[in-house]
Amino acid sequence: MTRIENPGFTDNIIECQNLTIYRDFHEVLHNASCSIPKDSLTFIVGENGSGKTTLVQSILGLLPINEGEMELHSDTEKDLIFGYVPQSVNFSKHVQMTVSEYLKYSASVPSDLIEETLNIVDFPETHLHNRLTELSGGQTQKLLLAAELFRSPDILFLDEPLSNVDNSSEKHIIDVILGIKNQGVSIVIITHDWQMVSSYADHVICLNTNFLCELSSNCICKNSLSKINIKNIQKATPDPQSSHPGYCYIENI
Amino acid sequence: MKIFNMELFELFTIPFMIRALVGSILLSLLFGLFGTFIVPRRVSFMADGISHASLLGIAFGLFIGTYPLIYAFLAAAIFGFILAKVSEHSRITEDGLIGILLTGGMSGALILLSFVPGYKPELFSYLFGNILSIQWVDLYILSGFFVITCIILISQWRTLVMSTVHPDLARVLKMPIKRTRYFLFIGTAIALIAGVKLLGVILVSALLITPVLAANQIGTSFKSTIFLTLLIGIVGSVTGLIISYIFDLPSGPSIALTLVLIFIASLFYSSLPKQKKLNS
Repeated sequence: MTRIENPGFTDNIIECQNLTIYRDFHEVLHNASCSIPKDSLTFIVGENGSGKTTLVQSILGLLPINEGEMELHSDTEKDLIFGYVPQSVNFSKHVQMTVSEYLKYSASVPSDLIEETLNIVDFPETHLHNRLTELSGGQTQKLLLAAELFRSPDILFLDEPLSNVDNSSEKHIIDVILGIKNQGVSIVIITHDWQMVSSYADHVICLNTNFLCELSSNCICKNSLSKINIKNIQKATPDPQSSHPGYCYIENI
Repeated sequence: MKIFNMELFELFTIPFMIRALVGSILLSLLFGLFGTFIVPRRVSFMADGISHASLLGIAFGLFIGTYPLIYAFLAAAIFGFILAKVSEHSRITEDGLIGILLTGGMSGALILLSFVPGYKPELFSYLFGNILSIQWVDLYILSGFFVITCIILISQWRTLVMSTVHPDLARVLKMPIKRTRYFLFIGTAIALIAGVKLLGVILVSALLITPVLAANQIGTSFKSTIFLTLLIGIVGSVTGLIISYIFDLPSGPSIALTLVLIFIASLFYSSLPKQKKLNS
């Protein structure tokens, strides 16, 4: 298994070839290939257990790649800067860290920029001195996002970023995400929210493995996408029964 | 203030009490710093595990007739390394592995001790502690270890904090968490053996765990909690030591009990309504 970092002039920031990844000695991804374009908003979709989080964690280096190759393309000589906001974090109740302390440690945010950093994600000022264990799920997600945005990543991975956020903040968070995409950050979002995919995706990676490789009206991706403004639906695991080039549709389960 | 026809300040002029107090303060600082990062990782049981397993080293030293504490340090360092290495990749949880090391070490120690003839008074002092027997050379070594620990802690501080609070992000940021993990586990194991002299194998975990848990009840930030951990450790061990001298009680249990009482007081304080806490 190889993970290669090299500067190059491709349209993709990450390319994965024939990845097989295990989690706890159990194979989660088998022979999966996909690519993540630069300066785009890519959604990773799939049923529960299809390997969405596993794929993202292996790209981030949190899980080893058992087989296959992954290429990371940076436009400069420096390594890619990754940003990561998981769906949830269980902060230990034995660490009484405040919001401002977390920003200082995780992203080296100076004291005079803390409020401004939190304002970007609509984090309530009244909770600035709260401890991490006192925050709600949505407040935690906003805090984690604020820290990652301050670090100016080249590629930002978000796992269900709106799952704990209230309706009034949802639009704001989406605007923030689109804003940083326009600044040249590649965004990858794991989601089950098909409306979000329909509305904003430039690129979709589907990890479902139940499919029939023929053009069919029974396609979960096709049926779930109300707008035809998606440039690519990329099927990560190819249909072994067919040699169709391009992309495969999958059976509606 | 007179206690039993002796001025309290006279306690601080007796050489063995001065050494004992200095040793208590140094150990409280060491354990407070390590405990801050060990307790949140849910390996507090490690203190019991390592100290009991290190009896194997003590038993080996008694068996071959040399200074047992050197072998206890060696055994503790090895067990700390095993804990850091094995729990990283395998299906064994850390507390499960600690249980195995504890029972394995104790069993080996008891078997070895069965070959050592006669009564073993030194064993009693290792089991329950005897801070009053601490020598100046012990303090010099402890001070050196404290300085080295502080230097390494300062250089690894951000990695230690982030790997404790948000380990996944620490790995994404490519922090040297593996190296820091080994330092933390091996350093704690060695500090635990140094603490065996103060509190004994049976109670040394009290100094690692109790100040952290008490400080967490009162602290309102990471910074204040660390400060409180160190303060509670020092106050608890010094107070326990003085009480043990005045009332002729065993030093280890006196210190451990004082710390437990401070923890109970902190629990009571944390249960007060917020306004009462602010007014106090």
